Amino acid sequence: MAEEYLLQMTGIHKRFGGVHALDDVSFRVRPGKVMCLAGENGCGKSTLVKIISGVYTKDEGEVVFEGNTISKITPAEATRLGIQVIYQDLSIFPNLTVRENLAINSEITAGRKLVNRKRWDETARAALDKVGCDIDLDAKMGDLNVASKQLVAICRAMLFNAKLIIMDEPTTALTKKEVDALFETVRQLRDSGIAIMFISHKTDEIFEISDDVCIMRSGKNVYTGETKNLTRKQFTYYLTGRDIEDDYFVPKNISPEPVLEVKNLTIDHRVKDVSFDLRKGEILGITGLLGSGRTELALALFGLEKPTAGQIVLNGKPIRIKSPIAAQKLRIGYVPEDRLTEGLCLAQPIADNIALSSLKRLSKAFGVLKRKDVIDEGWKWQKTFSIKTDDVTKNASTLSGGNQQKIVLAKWLANDLDVLILNGPTVGVDVGAKQDIHALVHELANQGLAVIIISDDLPEVVVNCSRVIVMKEGAIVGEMTGDGITENAIAEIIA
Amino acid sequence: MNKAAMKRMTRRTEFYMFLVLIILIAVIGIVSKGSLFESTQIVTILRAMVVDGMFAMCCLVVMVSGGFDMSFPAIAALAYSLATTICLNQGWCQTSPIAGFALSIVFGAILGMFNGWIISNFKLNTMLVTLGTQTFFTGVSMGLLQLREITSTLPVALKKFGLSSLFEVTNSAGLKSTMTTMFIFLVILCAVTSFVLNKTMFGRALYAIGGNEVSAERAGYNVKKTKFILYTVVGAVSGFIGMIRVCMASQSIPKAMVNKEFTIIPAVILGGASIFGGEGSVFGTVTAIGIITLVNNSMLLVGIDSYWKDFFNGLIILIGVTVSALQAMRKKH
Amino acid sequence: MTKIKNFVRNNQYTSILVGLLIAVLALFSALKGSAFWRIDLWKGMTMQFPEYACIALGLMFVFISGHHDMSQVLLGNFGAILAVQYMAANVTEGMANGQVAGIIFIGIGIALAIAVVGGLINFLLVSYLNVPPVMATIAMQMVWKGLSTALTKGYAVKGVPALYTTVGHTYIGGFLAVPVVIFLVLLVIAIFLLKFTTFGEKLYMIGTNKKAAKFSGINVHGMLAATYLLSAIFATIGVLIMVSTMGSAKADYGISYTTRAILILVLAGCIPDGGQGKISNILLSIVTVQIIATGINLFANLNTYYSSLIWGGMLIVVLIMSTQVGNRAPKKAKKVKKAPQNAA
Repeated sequence: MAEEYLLQMTGIHKRFGGVHALDDVSFRVRPGKVMCLAGENGCGKSTLVKIISGVYTKDEGEVVFEGNTISKITPAEATRLGIQVIYQDLSIFPNLTVRENLAINSEITAGRKLVNRKRWDETARAALDKVGCDIDLDAKMGDLNVASKQLVAICRAMLFNAKLIIMDEPTTALTKKEVDALFETVRQLRDSGIAIMFISHKTDEIFEISDDVCIMRSGKNVYTGETKNLTRKQFTYYLTGRDIEDDYFVPKNISPEPVLEVKNLTIDHRVKDVSFDLRKGEILGITGLLGSGRTELALALFGLEKPTAGQIVLNGKPIRIKSPIAAQKLRIGYVPEDRLTEGLCLAQPIADNIALSSLKRLSKAFGVLKRKDVIDEGWKWQKTFSIKTDDVTKNASTLSGGNQQKIVLAKWLANDLDVLILNGPTVGVDVGAKQDIHALVHELANQGLAVIIISDDLPEVVVNCSRVIVMKEGAIVGEMTGDGITENAIAEIIA
Repeated sequence: MNKAAMKRMTRRTEFYMFLVLIILIAVIGIVSKGSLFESTQIVTILRAMVVDGMFAMCCLVVMVSGGFDMSFPAIAALAYSLATTICLNQGWCQTSPIAGFALSIVFGAILGMFNGWIISNFKLNTMLVTLGTQTFFTGVSMGLLQLREITSTLPVALKKFGLSSLFEVTNSAGLKSTMTTMFIFLVILCAVTSFVLNKTMFGRALYAIGGNEVSAERAGYNVKKTKFILYTVVGAVSGFIGMIRVCMASQSIPKAMVNKEFTIIPAVILGGASIFGGEGSVFGTVTAIGIITLVNNSMLLVGIDSYWKDFFNGLIILIGVTVSALQAMRKKH
Repeated sequence: MTKIKNFVRNNQYTSILVGLLIAVLALFSALKGSAFWRIDLWKGMTMQFPEYACIALGLMFVFISGHHDMSQVLLGNFGAILAVQYMAANVTEGMANGQVAGIIFIGIGIALAIAVVGGLINFLLVSYLNVPPVMATIAMQMVWKGLSTALTKGYAVKGVPALYTTVGHTYIGGFLAVPVVIFLVLLVIAIFLLKFTTFGEKLYMIGTNKKAAKFSGINVHGMLAATYLLSAIFATIGVLIMVSTMGSAKADYGISYTTRAILILVLAGCIPDGGQGKISNILLSIVTVQIIATGINLFANLNTYYSSLIWGGMLIVVLIMSTQVGNRAPKKAKKVKKAPQNAA
């Protein structure tokens, strides 16, 4: 008889030293259903996944899989049971062919010593057939796009007769189209009786794909049940523990003259003939799907992309921005998309990260710099932005995502700016910190800064921008202002 | 051959290296008025490839796994110096060279194990570790053990083995040249390396680890054990190669291997291996060693003073690494 | 006592080095006693260490920036060969000291000019052509050695003016060796640059995350050019000191200094991964390495290769210990957010 629940976890506890990472967590996964595990960064999601996959052992609690109580899960045992985890990095080998990537795991599990190309080929094809996709087996894995890589990872997981597939934040690097395709695959798997555990913190996705949801906060599960019994507002409340009221941006004093004018800007075929202007005191949203040219446009304004045609006018003067150094001189600041690789020196102190863009101002003749000035600058911004740390000489890596993002903002605001470009300002930031950052940006705009927010997070754009430009395939396809900015209006023209 | 396969081939460094080798052979052949193709010249070049080619195989497998080994020449030097000294003192290797080889391989394996133990147990920069063990092994050989040069007193069987030949060729001027038996070992080692890398799960493990160590671990490979075995085997093979060199040169000089890594490592990279791991092939490596040996040995044929040897070596490597860097940059776009 | 404890906790790496130095001193004192604590022995040391210490200081900049330079010494040798050839050709017997000094200065200028060229080539290869630094500089190392060999046919270039070697061997005031003075000047420059200027600040940040530095408006290319130049110039100065010791220049003099410089830096916790390295640790490391080299010489039955043994061993031990230091550091306690619990 088929069990009603594939996996039941009851009263799970896990402690690391003094930290209670998982505190009495219980939930159930039904076969043939999609369950979302939702929670902010650091809430214990990944610890829970590692317990299910056997990487960690639980301290207390009961795990029942297909009606059998499992006392101890090891990674091998998890695989045997039919539990497969698709990690965020996909666990692929970029230097090997698709064929090898598909077959290598099962070959290792089978304890093979020699390579048999024919068998590898059969295994790989069988894997692709399970999901019904077609990818060139001889292609090098590293040459594929993210969506195809993900498909390969899913196909590989299917080889192990998976009954439960756990996907760790699979949509992070995908475009909207690719997300749709992924969801199609997920539904297909679900309909064939496989249980999917989908880890995410994106509200829209969770409501779109999941049947059940388990919301975690600070190591506890605060809600488990069917998704349809939950409203979005409730969901956010459970996720953050507080009611988030959308605080819409109301521009107070927009300057009559534009500070920045972009005229017919073109970059190869990635940005086509884009024109717009930007005034002091307004927040301009530029939105579009991944690959719509929004990031290239921003990089061009910061000297990291070379326009092939068109003109940029700043304060009435035509300018050429050759490098970030030039942009900085022109009082343009840029908060990059990827905080970890482009925004921060994680292994260096908070103060030094904050001071990095304003070293010239902090130093005296011949570049002489006093350590104390750097640290003072750090404390100054720590107070201004209420960055949660007791010591600004601690490394930036000790902070949470939201506080790290505040450092990147502080780094630019420490300079006197005319224009601030924010690319994905709250990616991977907790809802609470997100609100703090939004409030901060509103205040800056009202103090007379011209702000550009580039984002594909539509609610963010709607709440924060006084004007929105929508881009598609490199060109501007729509513009809206004030009350005309709604999610529906943008969604209609974006894809 | 279909278009996709063709495109893949032309994107590989090996393909270009092979073209370069062919062009070089043609150019040098013409400039030297055909004397490059004299049988004796060919034999000389092939002979010169033996030791470097074999060392390159050791270097290649380590680099495929994402490591950077600076210590293999020091391992070879310590292993063979110790082995020949023992053979000399015990009066071994009078009729058969086997004892000498066995000792050298065992010592090499022990030293390799030492590397393997450190590298597999601690997450450390392999270049720095092997730099440390290289210095340490050199200290053991020339400081602690005070191993001496053995030249005329080298055990008879080792000398004899080194002088043995497969065949003898005579050129148009009547000069004779012999093809050393040791060449067989180069061929065998290349074949075995190629087989291990492409046809065994151990070899694929090296590529997998070089490509993404975390994924390899998750896929079920025992990364620690694989690395330990790798460095042990590389040590043993280095000991063996060292002994081959002793036999070919009829002398055992502890210092002879100093800085050898600086010629082998660049050559392996020239052949398409990546210092970031996961890339490289036997074919490419042999081609690169071929190019360098060819250039080194035909300087006189084309009328260039042999003192320019180092310069041209450096220049080839420089062009090689630059071209592969540019290629990598182009791929990104 | 608690002060010492606090220092050890905050400066684990420095503490290991101080411990190592004390152990080395104790060992030699116990084994050799008064023979080890002789003034002339220590004076001798001050004549020896500056040549490689200068090279190590140069390499330090490169390591902090997250790069690598294997070409330093052989580049320096090429410059030194040209310099010595120039000096030998222009200094004639009976020339006044002032005139000789002028020629020496021009010679030194030639060597430094070569250093600038070499440093810039490294920079161009690494920065604009994206060649991995280790590979680019190993290749350049071979090129410079090749040029030197071709130029000298592998022989040492003799004819260093007597004035050059005499000055190089002078103890100012009877105790302060000229090479030490040169080293101290470079040291002061290095300390000034690293600790008191925006250059140092930017260098550490570039070494930690080059892309983030670029996105923060730092002139990364300019910084790297300066870094490779400093490396080449400091190393060439080290080689020029060596020329006065050897009385000649040669393609492969001081080839082992490449390894020794890396050893000193890694021992001091300054690794080519970038963003790390303290000058005080590097000084401790230099002193320890020199004391071992000199101490070994006190034992008649030990040859100089014993120092290789000890250095290599030390490098391995320190590398392993450095991983353990990291592991023992207190784990960052996860901040438990205070939020109302509302279980459904």
